[in-house]
Amino acid sequence: MLKSKFTRYVFQKLGWYLLAFLIAVSLNFILPRLIPGNPVNVMINQLAVGGVQSDALARIYENYMREFGLDQPMHIQFISYFRNLFRGDLGTSFMLYPGKVSDLIKEALPWTIALQIPTILVGWILGNILGAVCAYKGGRFDAVVFTSALAVSNVPYYCLAIILLYGLAVHNPIFPVGGGYSFGNFPDLSFSFFLDALHHYTLPFLSMIVVAIGGQAIGMREMALYELTTDYVHYSKAMGLRDKKVVGYVFRNAMLPQITGLAISFGTMMGGALVTESVFSYPGIGSLLFTAIRQTDYPLIQGCTLIITIAVLLANFLVDIAYGFIDPRIRAAQLGER
Amino acid sequence: MGEVLILVLRSRRFIIGAVLFLAVLTFGVIGPRVADRDPFQMAGGLFDPPSDKAILGTDNLGRDVFVQLMYGTGTSLLIGCVAGVVATTIGVTVGTIAGFKGGFIDELLMGVTNILITIPSIVVLILLSVAIKSRSAVVMGVIIGVTSWPWTARAVRAQTSSLKIREHVDLARISGYTTAELIVKEILPYMLSYIFMAFILQFSGGITNEATLSMLGLGPFQTISLGVMLHWALLWEAVRTGAWWAFVPPVLFLAVTSFSLMLINAGMDEVFNPRLRKS
Amino acid sequence: MKNLLKAQDLRAYYRLVDGTEIKAVDGVTLELRPNEVLGIAGESGCGKSTLAAVMSLTHNPPLRVVDGHVAANGSNLLTMPPEQVRREIKGRHISVVPQGAMNALNPTQRVRNFAIDMLQEHFPEMTKAQAIDLARARIEELSLPVRVLDSYPHELSGGMKQRTIIVLSTLLDPKVLIADEPTSALDVTSQKIVIKLLLALLGEGIITSIAFITHELPLLRQVADRIAIMYAGKLVEVGSMDEIIFSPEHPYTRALMGSMLVPEKHIREQRIEAIPGVPPDLKDPPIGCRFHPRCQKRLPVCSQEEPPAKIVGDRTTWCWLMQ
Repeated sequence: MLKSKFTRYVFQKLGWYLLAFLIAVSLNFILPRLIPGNPVNVMINQLAVGGVQSDALARIYENYMREFGLDQPMHIQFISYFRNLFRGDLGTSFMLYPGKVSDLIKEALPWTIALQIPTILVGWILGNILGAVCAYKGGRFDAVVFTSALAVSNVPYYCLAIILLYGLAVHNPIFPVGGGYSFGNFPDLSFSFFLDALHHYTLPFLSMIVVAIGGQAIGMREMALYELTTDYVHYSKAMGLRDKKVVGYVFRNAMLPQITGLAISFGTMMGGALVTESVFSYPGIGSLLFTAIRQTDYPLIQGCTLIITIAVLLANFLVDIAYGFIDPRIRAAQLGER
Repeated sequence: MGEVLILVLRSRRFIIGAVLFLAVLTFGVIGPRVADRDPFQMAGGLFDPPSDKAILGTDNLGRDVFVQLMYGTGTSLLIGCVAGVVATTIGVTVGTIAGFKGGFIDELLMGVTNILITIPSIVVLILLSVAIKSRSAVVMGVIIGVTSWPWTARAVRAQTSSLKIREHVDLARISGYTTAELIVKEILPYMLSYIFMAFILQFSGGITNEATLSMLGLGPFQTISLGVMLHWALLWEAVRTGAWWAFVPPVLFLAVTSFSLMLINAGMDEVFNPRLRKS
Repeated sequence: MKNLLKAQDLRAYYRLVDGTEIKAVDGVTLELRPNEVLGIAGESGCGKSTLAAVMSLTHNPPLRVVDGHVAANGSNLLTMPPEQVRREIKGRHISVVPQGAMNALNPTQRVRNFAIDMLQEHFPEMTKAQAIDLARARIEELSLPVRVLDSYPHELSGGMKQRTIIVLSTLLDPKVLIADEPTSALDVTSQKIVIKLLLALLGEGIITSIAFITHELPLLRQVADRIAIMYAGKLVEVGSMDEIIFSPEHPYTRALMGSMLVPEKHIREQRIEAIPGVPPDLKDPPIGCRFHPRCQKRLPVCSQEEPPAKIVGDRTTWCWLMQ
C-alpha cells in the first residue's frame, strides 16, 4: 500500500516538474523571438559589417529563415520547436555554421558536470559539518567561522575565481592560467592526461568549493541552532541521555532540511558557476554561453539555457524524491498517511 | 522606529555592516559628482599601472579605473536597489494576499511561486536580457527584480498566515475592516523588520545578479557597473596580463558591498529572532 | 535525613542579556513525601514551571540557581557532578513529563529506538532485544497498544503520545515523577486517561511520588493529596487537598478558588470574582508580602515585611493575617 502511495507521490512530483519544464521551454522559445527585427536580421547585419557580399547575404538569409522556420506563423514555429527538441535537435549555431548546437553542447557538458557535481556534493558535506560544529560549539569559534562563512558565501563565485587565478596562476604560476587541459594535449584516457586535467581543475574547483561550503554552513548552523532548542532535546537530556547522543539526534534532524538546500544550490550556483568557467576558460557550458552571448548566437544561447534548465530541474526532482523517501515526517505529510 | 534603531545598534554585526555599507554608498553616490573626469574619457595608455595621473591606473582603453569604480559602484547600487524594491514589492504583495486569503487564491499564487522557484532564475535572466536590447540600469534592476521575488513571497506568506490568526486581526475584522485595510493596518506593521530584512537580501542578490549578467556580456547598455568593469577585464585579459588594478578594485567592492549587507541582515536577525543556544 | 526530593530555600533567577534578573523562584522550601501526589498551582508566570525545572535538574541558562539546594537521599543534587546526575538521577531517581510534551519525542525516530537509546545509556550492557522486551512488557502492563513502539511520533494521537512519554519517562522506575502541565493540551477524554495512567503508576508501585504542576485547580481536586499554591515566585500556602480547596486561608488562595472553582460548582448565583490587579513584575517584586498590592485585607505590615511561615497541623501559610 505504501508502495502505491509512494508511486503516486513520485508521479505527482513528476507532473509538477513537467509543468515547470514546459513553462521554462516556452520562455526559452518566446523571449528570443521578442527581439525587435529578428535574430537572423541581427546576425546578417553583423555579417554585412564584416564585409560579406550582398547576394551571398541574401542567400544566407533565406537559408536561415527556412532553417529556423522564422518565416512560419508563431504557433507552427512553436510546434516544430518542440518536435525538434524531442528529437534532440537544438538547431544550428550561427557562429559555427553549420555546426549543430547539440554537438557543441555534447562536447561541453561533461566538463561542466565534472566540475559542478563534485563541487556541490563535497561543498555540501563539508559545509554541513562545519555549520553543525559552529552551532554546537558556539562562542568565539562560531563567531569567527560564521562571519567568515557569511563573507565568502555572499561574494559571487567568480570574485574569488578571479583573485585565485591572478594569485596562483599569474602572479605565482603554480597552476595553469586556464582551459581544461594543456594546449597540444588531447582528451584521452591516459594517466598523463588525467593529471594534466586535474592540474587545470584545481583552481576552478577551489574557487567554487569555498563559497559552496560557506553557504551550506550558514544554512546548517541555522537549522542546528533551531533544533537545539526543541522540546525533544530537553526531554532527551532530562531522561539522562548523553550530550553526544542528543547532538546526534539534532544533527540528523537538521541535516534533513539541508537536503533541500542541496537542491537549491543546484539552481543558485548555476549563474556564478557559469561565469567561473569563463574566468578560467574552462571548456564547459559556461564558456560556451559566454562566447555565444558575445557572438549573439541565439540558437546556441537557447541551447545552453535549455540544458541548464533541464539539469537543474532533474537535480531538483531527484532530490525531492530522495527527501520524501528519507524524512518520515515529509513522507507522512506528502503521502497523507496518518 | 527609534526603539528598533536602538535595538539593532546593540548588534556589533549590524553596526559594522551599516558602517561599511554607508562608506560604499557614499563612494558610489558622492564620487561621480566630484570626479574631475568622465569614466569614458581617455586618461592614459592601455593598462597603465597606478600613478599620480590615475591612482588606480587605466583599463583596456586607457580610461581611469578609479573614476570608473565610483560610477560603477553607483550603478551597481542603483540596480541592486531597484531590483530589491521590485522584488520585495511583488513578493510582499503576493505573499500577503496568498497567506491572508488562503484557499484557492493561496494555492494558485503559491503554485505559480513554486514553479518560478523551480526554474533556475539565471536562465530567465539571460533570456530576458537577450530579448531586451538596450538595457538601462533601471531596466536591468527591474528585470532582476521580476525574476527574484518568489523566495520573498514564500517567506512572507508563511509569516502572514501565522499573523492572521492573532487576536487583534480578528478584532479589526469584526469592526468591519476590508481585506486591504486589514493587510495594510494589521498585518504589514508586524512584519516591517522582516520585510526590511527580505529587502536587504534582495538588494544584495540584485547586485550579485547584475555582476553575473554583466560578466556574461549582458550588462547595462553604455553604462559602467562593477560587473561591466569585470567583463572588460576578463575580455581584455587583464587577469592574465597581470593588470591587477583593473579587476581587484571591482572584485573588492562587490565583496565588501554584499558582505556589509549580509552583516546588516545577520545583525537584525540576531536582534529580532534571539535564540538560546547550548550554554 | 533520607528524603525523596526536597527544595530548600531555593532561589532561581533568569539573568537577561541587559543584566536584569527575573526572580522566578525566590526562596521556596518544599518537600515531596512518599506515596503522594503533590499539586503545585498558581497563575501562569508565578514560577511553578521554573520550580519544576530546577527540581528536575533540567534548568538551562539563562535560568540559574542563585541560592538554596535540591536534596535527594541526603545529598545536594545541585552540587553533584553533572555526569553523576545524568547517570544516577535523571530518569532513575527523578523523571519528568515535560510541558511541551507533544513535541518531546524526536520526530524522525521510532519510539522503540528512543527506548533502546535511553535504556542503553543507563545500562550499557543491555542488548537491544532486552531493551525492547523491557519496554514492551511495561507497555502491556499499563495496557497501552504495543504498536506505539514501532510508531513515529507523528503517527500517534495527542493523548497516545502523552501516554507513551509517560511510559518512557517511568521505564527506569524513577522514584519521583515531575509532571509539568501534563494534560493541558489534551481533550477531556484524553485528560482522564492520562490521569488514570499516572495514578496507576503510583498504584503499581512503579513510582513513589508525583509532583503535578498545573494552573487548573479542578484537576488537582481529582488527583492531588497535597497542594502548594505559588504566587510571584514564592509559596503562599501549602496544605492537604481538602484544606486548600475547601477552606483556603491565604487571601490569594481564596481569590484563586473563587475565580477558578465557581463555574464547576453548581452555585450559579455566586459572583465569579476575578482577582483585581495584575501579578507583579518579577524583575522588581513588591517589598513585604508579594500579594499585598492586590490584597483587599492588607495590613500596614504587609507592605513592609515578608510574612513568616505559620504552621498549623499539616498546613503552612505565609500571611500576616494568620499571625
